[in-house]
Amino acid sequence: MGTVVIQRIYHKEAEKIGEKVKKRIAEIEAKMTINKPGGEINALNDTSGKDYVVLGDDTLYVLDKARHFSDISNGAFDVTIGPLVKAWGIWSDNPRIPQKSEIDELLELVDYKDVLIDKDNSRAMLKKTGQVVDLGGIAKGYAADEAINIYKENGVESAFISMGGNVAVLGGKPDGSPWRIGIRNPKGSQGSYIGIVSVKDKTVVSSGEYERFFEKDGVRYHHILDPKTGYPAESDLTGVTIVSDLSIDADALSTATFVLGLEEGMRFIEGLDGVEAVFITKDDKIYITGGLKNIFEFKDESKEFEYVEKR
Amino acid sequence: MLKKGDLFIVLIVIIMIAVSFVGVSIFRGREDDGHKTALIIRDGKEIRRIDLDAVDEPIEITVDGDYNNTIIAEKGRIRFMEADCPDKVCVDTGWLYKTGDMAVCLPNKVMIKIEGKSQDIDIVTY
Amino acid sequence: MSGVKKIVLLGLLISQALVLSIIESWIPIPMPVPGVKLGLANIITVTVIVFFGFREALTVMTIKCVLSSIFGGGGWMLFLFSFSGGLLSTVVMSGLYKAGRDKFSIIGISIAGAISHNIGQLLVAAFFMQDLAVAFFLPLLLVSGCIMGFFVGVISSFLINALKNTKLY
Repeated sequence: MGTVVIQRIYHKEAEKIGEKVKKRIAEIEAKMTINKPGGEINALNDTSGKDYVVLGDDTLYVLDKARHFSDISNGAFDVTIGPLVKAWGIWSDNPRIPQKSEIDELLELVDYKDVLIDKDNSRAMLKKTGQVVDLGGIAKGYAADEAINIYKENGVESAFISMGGNVAVLGGKPDGSPWRIGIRNPKGSQGSYIGIVSVKDKTVVSSGEYERFFEKDGVRYHHILDPKTGYPAESDLTGVTIVSDLSIDADALSTATFVLGLEEGMRFIEGLDGVEAVFITKDDKIYITGGLKNIFEFKDESKEFEYVEKR
Repeated sequence: MLKKGDLFIVLIVIIMIAVSFVGVSIFRGREDDGHKTALIIRDGKEIRRIDLDAVDEPIEITVDGDYNNTIIAEKGRIRFMEADCPDKVCVDTGWLYKTGDMAVCLPNKVMIKIEGKSQDIDIVTY
Repeated sequence: MSGVKKIVLLGLLISQALVLSIIESWIPIPMPVPGVKLGLANIITVTVIVFFGFREALTVMTIKCVLSSIFGGGGWMLFLFSFSGGLLSTVVMSGLYKAGRDKFSIIGISIAGAISHNIGQLLVAAFFMQDLAVAFFLPLLLVSGCIMGFFVGVISSFLINALKNTKLY
């Protein structure tokens, strides 16, 4: 995943617990990466169209979740986006713009319904040869959930972890007040924010075009591909932040919502229980879902954004 | 060799030094809350903000411009590592680790300074 | 003094100032704060003020700044940086010298010059970085200016006395 991990743990043995979490994250990454050789997801991808592969509990759970969110988002988030991700070289040092014909060809391979999961035998398979599952949009969330579990198992009552910007918090701050999570200003520098959500025992996850992009011939290509077109999603959003209970859910939902855009994304999130969102649009307006009214605080030091609240 | 008027110059200079020392120490003392955030500023604009308490593995940042600066941030400290500007004052400044510490690359108009962390938020999601 | 002689002497002084500022750049200073320099070239500025006057001192200082930023590299920014310091210190030193050479010694004038040099640089730095936080460097710059100014003043006194004996000027 190659992500920056930040942990704050309030406990006598914070250091040791932090190490445990790091080890667990490395373990998850090794199993689920497609950017390095080895691991279960690579095995699944390598035998696509041929045979079932036996998967560990972790991978099976994440794959099942990924399929579930592909399903309920109607493919706005699609776990089988892998062939396109590879074609664009999004995570490589040399991203490129594939030919239209190449994209059309690869789009044939993108269909989450081709992920066959056989829970009884702990195995899964991809229907068509050449299909590639990419858990990049969801494994970070899972790792954050696992970190929270490790904190709990070790008796921690107050902690947070940021897995490359995916924040999950356990309890509140040691003084009992909620954690205050800044929402990144999509146009500002790293670390600047447009507002704050105050939460306990929640996860706050963002997706935005600022995370990773490249420029070619004056056009900016960001990293969130629309599974329907094969090109970077032409969203009217610059960023979206999901607040929910499980980070794995929020991770998949933030990507899906970004692809869906403001109008559809808002409807999608409001149809889900226990999930709230903050939307930042291209024309610098900020919208939130109803449940955030009391915990979201608009605080834009850049003075470039307008808080519209709910539309 | 010294003359009467020199006393006047010396007096003024001593007053200036005293005032500036007091001023700076008051300012620093107020900002120091134990938390450290490094700001990288270019041309008067903040280009990056790093929570130094939270840096686990060294982060390398390259700043382009008329010249190039390479900045390294580690847990609790930050510095200009390399620069191809002619005077290299920024690199010679060494590590910054206290609130109020500052390093400047004048030819490239780049500055690093350490501020106390804003208590307003705990972390930023991105 | 004839025009030719003046030009020759000022030319010599400019080249000496230039050499001093180059030598200075070879000497590492334990305090790497932008603007802290030995200020050796101030020896020449003081000398020119004493033997010629404000206008000549300004000319020498300006040409020295232009040449040293061409030779030393650093471009426009570093030129403005050193020029601003040089300008302020030349103005202050000439002012003090004119106000009364019987009141202020060369050492006193030199200290005032070194300090105003550093303040001038700091102002330009603050302007270009668009940040007043550079004022944090002020105490250090004042102290170092004081020390450097003193030594530069001592050297300048010797130089000026020696030159007076040569009857060159």
